[in-house]
Amino acid sequence: MTKFNVGDRVTVRDATSMFHTRTQMYVRGRTGVVVSHRPEWVIPEDEAWGRENGRKEPFYVVRFRQTDLWPSYAGSDVDTLETEESERWLMPAGKEEGQ
Amino acid sequence: MSTTHEHSHAPIQDEDATSEFNVLETAIRELAVEKGLFSAEDHRRFLEWAESRGPAGGSRLVAKAWVDPGFKQRLLSNGTEACKEVGIDWNDPTGKGTPSDYTYFYVLENTPEVHNVIVCTLCSCYPRPVLGMSPAWYRTPNYRRRMVRQPREVLAEFGLDLPLDVAIRVHDSNQKSRFMVMPMRPDGTEGWGEEQLAAIVTRDTMIGVALPQADWKADRSPAETPRSAGR
Repeated sequence: MTKFNVGDRVTVRDATSMFHTRTQMYVRGRTGVVVSHRPEWVIPEDEAWGRENGRKEPFYVVRFRQTDLWPSYAGSDVDTLETEESERWLMPAGKEEGQ
Repeated sequence: MSTTHEHSHAPIQDEDATSEFNVLETAIRELAVEKGLFSAEDHRRFLEWAESRGPAGGSRLVAKAWVDPGFKQRLLSNGTEACKEVGIDWNDPTGKGTPSDYTYFYVLENTPEVHNVIVCTLCSCYPRPVLGMSPAWYRTPNYRRRMVRQPREVLAEFGLDLPLDVAIRVHDSNQKSRFMVMPMRPDGTEGWGEEQLAAIVTRDTMIGVALPQADWKADRSPAETPRSAGR
């Protein structure tokens, strides 16, 4: 059971992190759209420590408009970027962090 | 400095020679050899094998997809499985892939509306089983940081200017998936067979920084033809 469906608008948590996450800084706090589901994978936060049987979570492909990622984006409005994020890093767009 | 050396430039340095990653790799490898996990020759053989793999597998995948709509569908829906049809097993040689690599393979289809390009901002993830070792520039911080924020400028530096109504879609391979671009079949290739088509599907067209052209083959020397300026 996945928390988000294809087409859902999601915001990447703008959290700080001390250790390995694979969640890029440039997408934190940014909003995009779920375009695909990925299988459940062990989250990088566990796998980085060699815990191959660590916590598994659904992953999502999130598509961002480039103009939403970079305020000074000089390309075209139709340009996008896709990347994969684990469920723990995503929240429904419009919800305040920490509520 | 030699007086016959006419252009001036900064000294070329082997910038990674003493990086902490190199030191770490050497230390772990030597410990593993001492412990008997593998021999120095095993390691050399693995490197020789890994470094000899080129992009030919990817070229075959694209050429086959261009001539066989059924295969194209299978390739787009399950890249890892479809690879087996051209003799590429993503689990080779470990049997399970590595924990963070070689696991899920997705092919990105270019269309008249969307042009795909791949990058890994976190390190240098690359679809090695189908494209071999990545080019040196793909691993540079410069390519990695600029491709996500200035893709059109970077593509232009590779000689690829795309119209503003073609959406550029950058894929940052930050997790377990690996990607390869399936370029569009160019004009002038009507009636070609798979082998002839595969020859024009070069490495860079599958990264997404170039487009295949009917008159350009991967093994062609740039000196053989006039420059492409004004193409």
